[in-house]
Amino acid sequence: MRFQLLVLPLILCMMPMALSGNTTLSLDKSGFEVFSDMPVDSVGYSDLQMREEMDFILYLVGRGDLDEGLFLLEGLRPAGEKWRDSLNYLTGWVLYRQKNLDASAGFLLSVSCESPVYHKSHFFGAYNLAHTGDHAGAGAVLSSMSLERGKMLAAMKRLQLGGLALLARDFDGYSVQARHFSGQYHVMAAEERRMEQHHAGLRDAPGKSPWIGGLLSAAVPGLGRVYAGKSAEGIVGFLYVAALGLTSYDIYRGTGARNPLFILSASVTGVFYVGNILGSATAVRRTNKEFNHEMDQRILFDMHIPLRNAFN
Amino acid sequence: MKWTSVFCLTCTFLCATLSTEKVHGRDQWFQKADSLYVAGAWFEASIAYERSYYLSENALQRVLANLAKAEALKQMGEYSKAHDDLQRSLAFRGSESLRLEVLYQMALCAYMDGDDATARSLLLQILHQFGPIPQQRIFLLKGLVMVDQARWDDLRQHLEVWADELYDDNAAKDSLLTAFDVLKMGDGLPRVRDPERARLWSAIIPGSGQAFAGSPGWGALNAISQLAALTGFGLLAWNGYYIAGVVAGLGPFQSFYFGGIRQAGELAEQNNSSRLERFQTAMGEFLLDVARQSDQ
Repeated sequence: MRFQLLVLPLILCMMPMALSGNTTLSLDKSGFEVFSDMPVDSVGYSDLQMREEMDFILYLVGRGDLDEGLFLLEGLRPAGEKWRDSLNYLTGWVLYRQKNLDASAGFLLSVSCESPVYHKSHFFGAYNLAHTGDHAGAGAVLSSMSLERGKMLAAMKRLQLGGLALLARDFDGYSVQARHFSGQYHVMAAEERRMEQHHAGLRDAPGKSPWIGGLLSAAVPGLGRVYAGKSAEGIVGFLYVAALGLTSYDIYRGTGARNPLFILSASVTGVFYVGNILGSATAVRRTNKEFNHEMDQRILFDMHIPLRNAFN
Repeated sequence: MKWTSVFCLTCTFLCATLSTEKVHGRDQWFQKADSLYVAGAWFEASIAYERSYYLSENALQRVLANLAKAEALKQMGEYSKAHDDLQRSLAFRGSESLRLEVLYQMALCAYMDGDDATARSLLLQILHQFGPIPQQRIFLLKGLVMVDQARWDDLRQHLEVWADELYDDNAAKDSLLTAFDVLKMGDGLPRVRDPERARLWSAIIPGSGQAFAGSPGWGALNAISQLAALTGFGLLAWNGYYIAGVVAGLGPFQSFYFGGIRQAGELAEQNNSSRLERFQTAMGEFLLDVARQSDQ
C-alpha cells in the first residue's frame, strides 16, 4: 500500500508530460516539420522515425502519389547507414515508376550487395541504363553481378545480356548468351524465344541504302521512295515531277527553249526533280531509323517483362 | 494485492499515454497541415492532411482530413485527384452534413475538371439522398453544369426554383427571370450553323459556305483563288498550252475547290463552338452575379 502511494503521485506527475506531448518537432531541409513520438537524433532520424516515415512513404507510393513520396524521400536523413539501401532502392523505384529512368538508375545501382533487394535493384538499374541508350554501362552492371550458375537469376542475366547485345547489334555477343537460353523458367521462356526472333529479324533485315534510293529516284522519280517502303509518297512524287515535266515540255513545244516562261517552268521542274531525289534518300534513312527503333522497342519490352514477372 | 495494483496502474498509464499521444499526434498533423495551407504551401499541406488521414483510426477525423486535403489539391488545380481522393469517404455514415459536403466537393471537383456528366450525376445523388437542399452553392453549381451542357430550358426552370428561394416578392423573381431571358434572347443564344449545310453551299457557290459559317472574308479569298486558277487555265488553254493549263490552272483550281468545301465545314464547327463558349461565359457570369447577390 505504501508502495502504491509512492508510485501513484509519480504516475500522476508523468501523465501531463505525456499528454502535453513527449514529442519533438524538428525542421528538415525543405522546411517541412517532422513530427514523431520519439526525439530526433542530432545526426538524423531515429530507427523508429525512419520506420514510420518509410511506412507512410510506401503507403503513398502504393496509392500512386509518387511526387509526394519522392518529396518525403528527399527530406529523409537517417541517423546511420542502415537505411541507406532502403532509401536508394525506394527513391530509384519511385523514379522508375515516374519513367525518370536516368535518375532511377543512379539510385538503384547505389544499393549495396548486402541488401535483400540488391539483385532487383541492379537488374532494373541496368535495364534503365539500357533504355536510356547506355548499353555499355548496362552491360558492365550486369557483368559485375556474380550469380550462381543454373539458377533463375543467372538465366535472367543471360537474357538481359543477350538483349543488350541485340540492342548494340552485336550478333556474335548475342549468340554467346543465346547458347545458354534453356526455356526452363516460365518467367522468361517466351521472351527467350522472341529474342531469337528479334535476332533473326535484325540479321536478315536488308539494310537499305540511301544512295540506291537516290539513284532510283534519279532514274524514275518516286521509285526511291517505293524502294524505301513508302509507295504512296513515291506515286505522289512521280505525279508531281511528271506533271511539271509535261508542263515544261508543253511550253517548250510552243515557245522554244529561250522563252522565259519555259525557263521558269523548267527551273521549277528541276527543283522538284532534285528535291525528289534528296527526299528519297531521306525516306530510306527514315525507314531504316523506324525499323531500328521498332526493333529496339521490342527488344527492350522483352527484357523488361521478365524482370517484372520475376521481381514483382 | 499490492503488485496487482501497481501492475494495473502501470498498464493504465501506458494505455493512456499511448492512446492520447496517437490522438495528439493526429491533431498535430492536422494543425500542421492547416498552418501549411494558410502559408500557401498546398503541396506540403496535402501531404500532411494525407498523413493525418493515414494515421487516424477515427472515421470522422479521416473524412475531415480528406476534405481538407481536397481543399489543398483544389488550390493546386488537381481537381481530378481531389475527386478521386474524396471517393474514399463516400462510405462514411457518421454525419449527414459531412456526407453532403463530400458529395458536393466531389461534384465541384468534377465540374472544375471539365467532367460535367460526373458533376451532374453527383448532384443527382445529392438530390436523391438529401432531397432538394436550399443551399446557394448547390443552386449555383447545378446552374453552371447546365450552362456547360447547354441545357437552356432546364436552366430556366432551375432559375425559377432558385428565385423562389432567393426572393419573397414576385417583382424580384420576375426581374431575375427577365434578366435571364434578355441575356438569352437579347445577346442571342448562338445560332448553330450546320457544318454540312456550309459544305453544301461551298460546293454549289464557291465561298458561300464560309460566309454562311460566319467568315465572309475567308469565303471571298477562296472564291477569288478559284476564279484566278480558272482564269489561268483559260488563258493557257487559249494560247494552246493545254497540258500547262491543266497542271497550272485546273490543278490549283481543284485544290481550292475541294479545300474550300472542307474549310467551310471546319469554319462552321469552329465558329459554333466559339460563339457557344462566349455565350456560356456570359451565362456563367450571370449565375455568379445571382449567387453574389444572394450572399449579400
